[in-house]
Amino acid sequence: MAASGKRHATNQQPLLRAESVTKIYRTGQQEVKALDRLDITVRSGEMLAVMGPSGSGKTTLLNCLSGLDDIDGGRVLVEGRDLFAMSDHERTAHRARAMGFIFQAFNLIPVFNAVENVELPLLLVGVKAREARTRATEMLTRVGLGERAAHRPNELSGGEQQRVAIARALVARPAIVWADEPTGNLDTVMATQVMDLLRQLNDEGQTIVLVTHDLAIGHSAKRLVRMLDGHLVHDEMKERVPG
Amino acid sequence: MYPELLPWLVGLFTVSVLLTAFLLTRPVLRRLAMRQVVRRPTETALVALGSVLGTALILASLVVGDSLDRSVRQIAYDVLGPVDETVRSLSLEQGADVARRLASLADDPRVDGLLTVYGDQASAVVESGGRTAAEPRALVWELDFAEAAEFGAPHPSGLDAEDPGADGVVINENLAESLGVEAGEQVTFYLYEQPFDAVISAVVPAEGLGGVGRGASVNSNAYFSPGTLTEAAAAAGRDPTTTTFVSNRGDVEESAPLTDEIKAAMEGALGPLVAEGAAVATPKQDVLDEAEEAGAVLGSVFLLIGSFCIIAGVLLLVNVFVMLAGERRGQLGIMRAIGLRRRYVTGQFAIEGAAYAAIAAVVGALVGVGIGRLVVSLAMRILNSYEAGENQLAIVFHVSPTSVVNGVTAGFVIAFVTVVITSVRIARTNIIAAIRDLEPPVKHRTRARLTVLSVVATAAFVAASVPAIATSEGATTYLFPSLAAVSAVPLLARLMPLRAALTAASLAVLGWALLANTVRPDIYDDASTATYVVLGCALAFAAVMLVSLHQSVLLRPVRRLVERPTQSGLAARLAIAYPTAKAFRTGSTLAMYSVVFLVIVLMTQIMAVMNAGVDRAVVSATAGWSVRVDYSASAPIDDPESELGAGEFAGQVREVTPIVVGEAMGDDPRVVAGPPLPVVAVGFSEQLAASPLELDSYLPSLPNAQAAWDLVYSDPAYVFVEAFYGSTGGPPGETVQPGSVITLTDPRTGKQNERVVAGVVADGTAFYNITGAGFRYPILMSASAVETLGVDVAQSSALLRTAPGVDISELTTSLQGTYLTNGLVATDLRAAVEETYSATNQFFRLMQGYLALGLLVGITSLGVIMVRAVRERRRAIGVLRALGYQARTIRRAFLAESMFVAVEGVLIGAVLGVVTTWLLFRNSAAFASFDIPYPIAWTQIGVLVGITLVASLLATVGPARRAAAIRPAVAVRIAD
Repeated sequence: MAASGKRHATNQQPLLRAESVTKIYRTGQQEVKALDRLDITVRSGEMLAVMGPSGSGKTTLLNCLSGLDDIDGGRVLVEGRDLFAMSDHERTAHRARAMGFIFQAFNLIPVFNAVENVELPLLLVGVKAREARTRATEMLTRVGLGERAAHRPNELSGGEQQRVAIARALVARPAIVWADEPTGNLDTVMATQVMDLLRQLNDEGQTIVLVTHDLAIGHSAKRLVRMLDGHLVHDEMKERVPG
Repeated sequence: MYPELLPWLVGLFTVSVLLTAFLLTRPVLRRLAMRQVVRRPTETALVALGSVLGTALILASLVVGDSLDRSVRQIAYDVLGPVDETVRSLSLEQGADVARRLASLADDPRVDGLLTVYGDQASAVVESGGRTAAEPRALVWELDFAEAAEFGAPHPSGLDAEDPGADGVVINENLAESLGVEAGEQVTFYLYEQPFDAVISAVVPAEGLGGVGRGASVNSNAYFSPGTLTEAAAAAGRDPTTTTFVSNRGDVEESAPLTDEIKAAMEGALGPLVAEGAAVATPKQDVLDEAEEAGAVLGSVFLLIGSFCIIAGVLLLVNVFVMLAGERRGQLGIMRAIGLRRRYVTGQFAIEGAAYAAIAAVVGALVGVGIGRLVVSLAMRILNSYEAGENQLAIVFHVSPTSVVNGVTAGFVIAFVTVVITSVRIARTNIIAAIRDLEPPVKHRTRARLTVLSVVATAAFVAASVPAIATSEGATTYLFPSLAAVSAVPLLARLMPLRAALTAASLAVLGWALLANTVRPDIYDDASTATYVVLGCALAFAAVMLVSLHQSVLLRPVRRLVERPTQSGLAARLAIAYPTAKAFRTGSTLAMYSVVFLVIVLMTQIMAVMNAGVDRAVVSATAGWSVRVDYSASAPIDDPESELGAGEFAGQVREVTPIVVGEAMGDDPRVVAGPPLPVVAVGFSEQLAASPLELDSYLPSLPNAQAAWDLVYSDPAYVFVEAFYGSTGGPPGETVQPGSVITLTDPRTGKQNERVVAGVVADGTAFYNITGAGFRYPILMSASAVETLGVDVAQSSALLRTAPGVDISELTTSLQGTYLTNGLVATDLRAAVEETYSATNQFFRLMQGYLALGLLVGITSLGVIMVRAVRERRRAIGVLRALGYQARTIRRAFLAESMFVAVEGVLIGAVLGVVTTWLLFRNSAAFASFDIPYPIAWTQIGVLVGITLVASLLATVGPARRAAAIRPAVAVRIAD
């Protein structure tokens, strides 16, 4: 790892450890190393912001660490097991059990209403339908959308959709939440609301890894890493700057 | 087929092409449209496939009509050749007079052949090496072979052979095949019951004079030297029939238009002889007219069936373009935002649609001709099972340029217009909603203009419904009230929620479609195919609308399955969520399945009803008479009642009732000026009147059916017709009503007799082909009444009642062997009835097979929709996979989704099919004689459902696999 700057040290247990992870994109004869022998550890309770210019490999890092995408070298250890030694079936089951996702484009399922979207992760881990509905409704209330539970995504504003996405990501109490530009499609007011919510959840112990372009958001995280050309160039633990 | 449609279709095609050409002059539209077409070749092919099938089915229907027309015309070539007119005389003296009077025609430049011959019917037998072969109904002719060879020159006469001499005979291929003989072998002819041995000098093709005979039948002919037949007749104290053949100038078809002129000239020359029985017959013109009608009827039946497939094809196109628009919604929104006008959006889709339509027209034409060829060969095989032995039609595959142009232009225009109309709706997309992928703004109140339109349209359709229902006009009785209900929706939506308004309108249409024929029982009497198309569409569309509106209620029973927190439950949840959320798309796919399946099940049920009624039909058609015997009029059995029940048949034949027959032409009292119908007057005796066939109906003034038989037997003014009198093979219409008056005309003298219909015989199969000269509608009357008609009367048939346990097959063989010299042919009546049912069943199966092509459109559509759904839902699938949906769950969800749609569509169609047939069974006169409980063909319907669902599942396997293989990271499009 070619990291520079202040190294973060913590007493918390590592939740995920990436070792020498390499990811190569091939287009025709051309090869692009999106991640180049990258090492990183995510610890429980962290709020880690990944920043860097476009094309630096932020989203690829998120995809590879979460197991959404395959890697070309290295390994990612979660709960002591190599994520990429698992079968697709096991990896998918692991995502359902231990991970939540928030995307820039919200990515709610358009044919399900808000509460149906939120209860999906619970049903995936075998929670009974009635209990899943109750917990999903509670989670929606918590993100301020209790009254909008029966609305379909296209009946909600961008901010509301993203809050539904956050509720969906958190409802099954995953070990880690991956957020890719969670405020990228929101106006300032909405973005502030969403970040406040994420910080509040982190304060309650939720591990969050987020990719962002927004400096303010990056600086408001407990840990900030910077990427450049597939390398981790900066890893800094700091006091959170109020959003 | 349908040359009258040609100018309209070509006109519409030209307008469509010109419009496309104009749009192509706009560079932006051209670029946008053509790049969309070439961008995804596989999908372009899938889109084009729908309209290819539509065009193919239209053209195939037309080709079937062409081929039947050509096949019947072929009779003119095969049987009649150069013979255009004939004059038949029963006495030698009159025959000679006719020949003398017509001799002047030899100088007429419009005539190129004149030939007088003597003929009769005889049986022919070959016995050699222990083998016996017989042809009880051979036609024997005596003629001058040199004159015959020159008849119709320079065109071939069909009989160019050397005179065989006094001990020789020339036979045609039909007779040679029937007897299994060739030139040089000896054949025994029973000329007026006396054996006459002759050696075959030549075998000629059964064409022209070589196949000529009675009417349009294909004949087994033998030709003798001058003097042979006349001497045998003189020895027996009889006269052979004298026939003068006339050939008009030109070849087989060129000469037909001269028929009316030549007929008039001949009648002028014959003078008083016409009234004495020497009438001019025009067999070729009759055959050509028959060909045209037969082609039109069969073509229209297949077009009726094809129209359901075409409707499915149109729905596929609508669906595909709505999906295309959905996929390009954002793109369209942006284009509209930067200044693309609505009409340009329509224009872009129109160009794209024209490209698909052009592919469809070219490929569909080729596929359509192929399907047509397959259907023609199957149809002819089935149709021929109605006709015994030599009267079978030769299969002649024929495609007319008119049909090709009609099929291609109709396919193009349907595809093009569908796309343009769909694109008008697409162009109304709200720009912001399209760009931001939001729901279009909901208009809570119906616009005033729409309300006014709704009121006007509802009032207009209600007004139009009144006369339609009052006159029981089939198609409009269903159509106008249905359109009135649909038109009222915007108006109702002002008074109640839209969903309630749509529900009310759908229930009204469904209820009316199901019950209209109980209110107006005569609704099917016009036998119009359009009635059935409108009925099928009204039922299917209304039921689909109701199901689409109330999916949540219908799905309550499966809620537990959907709520299960397992991968199966999650798959089921997705499988139901998408179709219920996309109501339009699901509705049009459901409509495709249900409209086609409705008709398939309807046919299956009609077959089940008929099969369940076969035993009953045999009783109805035979009244216990087991065998019909027909023998040669020139060698009659003198006393059939005593002869056929005596001797070796004494213990087997219990009762014999002789029948006399006379050929005539009849009119159809339901038609003001229709073509004359070939009929056979069947004269029955007291025994049949005492043990009669079943009647469907009789004069209301009579107390019972027996009274009707007594009346017809005792009073020559009354007759019976059969239920299918005048039927041409299309949908059943109104039967002739008791009390109607039928005019019977002697074709030779033109003498007319009016007879009152006293009743309608349920099934006249016992008298079909009784003259051995092709099909004629039987008209039953007393034997003495036939004599009063003035037609040639022959006592040449009888019905036999057999003892219980007699082997009918053995008895008929034995009768034919014993009465070979009389040319006796015995028919097992039960077998004849069963054969009719079997042939009808086969025809229904053929139509089911044709409809299966419509189902193929539906299944293809489902496959196309699922392929597009994978693309459309790529991101959602990625998200689901990221959240923890297993790949196999995604695959199962896609398979379950297509099953859900297919099951709903098939169930709607099956239920409607069973209910509609039940209503027909209860209320239609066509089923009045079926005194049986309503059967349901569970097995056949189950098999059809199974095959359809498996095919639907297979059509989705590919898309489901593609969906399962989507990589979440790529699908969610998280890009740096």
